[in-house]
Amino acid sequence: MTKIIEADHLTKIYKGKVKAVDDISFAVDEGEIFGFLGPNGAGKTTTIKMLDTLATITSGKAFVAGHDVHREPGAVRDSIGVVPQELTADDELSGMENIVLAANLHHVQGSEARRRSAELLKLVDLEDAAGRKVRTFSGGMRRRLQLAMGLVHMPKVLFLDEPTLGLDIQTRKKMWDYIGRLNKERGLTVFMTTHYLEEADSLCNRIAIIDKGVIKLSGSPAELKQKLGGDILTLELAETPVDLTEFFKGIPDVSDVTRTGQVYRIKLPRTEKALPIIVEGVVRKNIEIKEISFTKPTLDQVFLEITGKSMRDEDASESDSVFQNFIMERATS
Amino acid sequence: MIAETMALTFRALKKWIRNPAAVLPGLFTSIFYLALFGSSFNPANLIPSGFSSTQISQTFGGAPTYITYLTAGVICLILVFNMAFGGIDLVLDRQLGFLNTVLTAPIPRAAIFFSGVAQNLVKVMFLAFLTFLIALVIPNGLVLPAGFGVLNLIGVFGSFALLGLGLSCVFTALALSVRSIDSLVAIVNFLTLPLIFMSDALFPSSSFPDWLKTIANVNPITKADEAARLLIVNGNLTSSQLSTFANDVLYLVGVVAILTIIGYFAAEKALSAQ
Ligand SMILES: Nc1ncnc2c1ncn2[C@@H]1O[C@H](COP(=O)(O)OP(=O)(O)O)[C@@H](O)[C@H]1O
Ligand SMILES: [Mg+2]
Repeated sequence: MTKIIEADHLTKIYKGKVKAVDDISFAVDEGEIFGFLGPNGAGKTTTIKMLDTLATITSGKAFVAGHDVHREPGAVRDSIGVVPQELTADDELSGMENIVLAANLHHVQGSEARRRSAELLKLVDLEDAAGRKVRTFSGGMRRRLQLAMGLVHMPKVLFLDEPTLGLDIQTRKKMWDYIGRLNKERGLTVFMTTHYLEEADSLCNRIAIIDKGVIKLSGSPAELKQKLGGDILTLELAETPVDLTEFFKGIPDVSDVTRTGQVYRIKLPRTEKALPIIVEGVVRKNIEIKEISFTKPTLDQVFLEITGKSMRDEDASESDSVFQNFIMERATS
Repeated sequence: MIAETMALTFRALKKWIRNPAAVLPGLFTSIFYLALFGSSFNPANLIPSGFSSTQISQTFGGAPTYITYLTAGVICLILVFNMAFGGIDLVLDRQLGFLNTVLTAPIPRAAIFFSGVAQNLVKVMFLAFLTFLIALVIPNGLVLPAGFGVLNLIGVFGSFALLGLGLSCVFTALALSVRSIDSLVAIVNFLTLPLIFMSDALFPSSSFPDWLKTIANVNPITKADEAARLLIVNGNLTSSQLSTFANDVLYLVGVVAILTIIGYFAAEKALSAQ
């Protein structure tokens, strides 16, 4: 696999004071969706800014699409699309005008710019709103437009900074859909940041968890959960003298089983895979299942385990709520 | 480079055209200066007996009314003041993140600077033209000489455009360099008033003390003002007036060249990665 992004001991110190990113190294393969997961102020945006040529690199090296970010910023800009955390589409211009402008700024001109813009607006389901001023768009529509604007020059790598920030869960899922499809159908490499675990989980091939400028843990979502012990499946069975603990332990992937009365708590990396085997096994033994439920590890749990603090405290941080309000204002005005 | 400069300029001008209220502050300045300042503070009325029309002409370089003298100056003032409003749009572009999306695009940084210069210039030249029209229609206002033609008009607005271009380079570079509207406004206030008062724009520099006269004589505002006023007051120029006009224009071209280079490098620095 070709590495399309390589970060080698990257450090960023703002104005000689704030160490926003502290000696991080990672690589992203071509065609991969790579997720940077962390609370507010972790250094996610700063990392993107170093990779997309907006911020200088204090120390270390970075390569994007085979080009040294520091020495060949122009070549890097030619190969990347950037969807920033802020909503930068122009209120006074229509959706179409915004995306055509993005095309014009990437050497796509004239009728070709309009053709691609129309195609991308269709892809993100904005073709009906294309002629409307962005002022009238909802938050979700703005994010979708922003996504389309980052793609109009068919970049090799797309940087997505918190693509679903401030969106409700339905709209968020729709965004995941678009991003997933772009990755599958066009082979687009995506480097995205988020502070939602579900997002990283359902979209990313690999994740790095960053906190206070340091990468704490990285791997595929399944690997990360495995490190936590995975999902917990809770089974309540009808009264029976049979102890199923050993049976459950014998099922591949199951890492731990505890029993309290007729309630079994089974730890396993992915419920979906083992669930049929477990249910079938119990039914074969002619035991009735009274209740079945499972919980997935949340970012909170992963975070708690790794950093010793809860992510939710961070979520309510001031800068975040100010930014959210700002988005909401723009979205509703 | 040209395509990107145009794309960015058209975007800014589209926003501007769709928000007609944005020209109002500039428009009011014109009206206040011409209709209120020009009419109420008419030096011709300051002496109880009044000036004779020859005296007015002598004091104001041959202009038949004070507003005829004043129009070129007020337009210079409009150019200077409204550069600041254009600058605010550029600061907002940075604050709202638009500038970052432009900076991650594979375009020359010069395109960002030159589109800033162009959009500010177009905006202020539009206001300059409106001011000229207002001066023409107000009572006791601008009286153009017989034979004032299209070429004269081009000469007048060419002089203003050169001044506008130079100013736009300065204020664009400034707006790209600051991080907040507050600091822009502070610097603009610090620069604009002295620039105006140390020029011929509102009063003839012949009435200035020597030190101020020296400064006013090298001030590009004085040159643009003088060049435009020569045409506005006289229409067709005598050969000595023509040589004054040509010297002023050459001086302005030189100033524009220098300010373009300085502004360009300042903008390049302001736009580099932080
Ligand atoms: N321009 C800047 N100047 C100084 N400090 C900054 C700047 N941008 C970000 N920081 C600081 O760097 C840290 C990381 O910020 P950021 O990369 O935006 O985090 P995230 O995107 O993960 O929320 C924070 O402490 C933030 O306050
Ligand atoms: Mg961020």
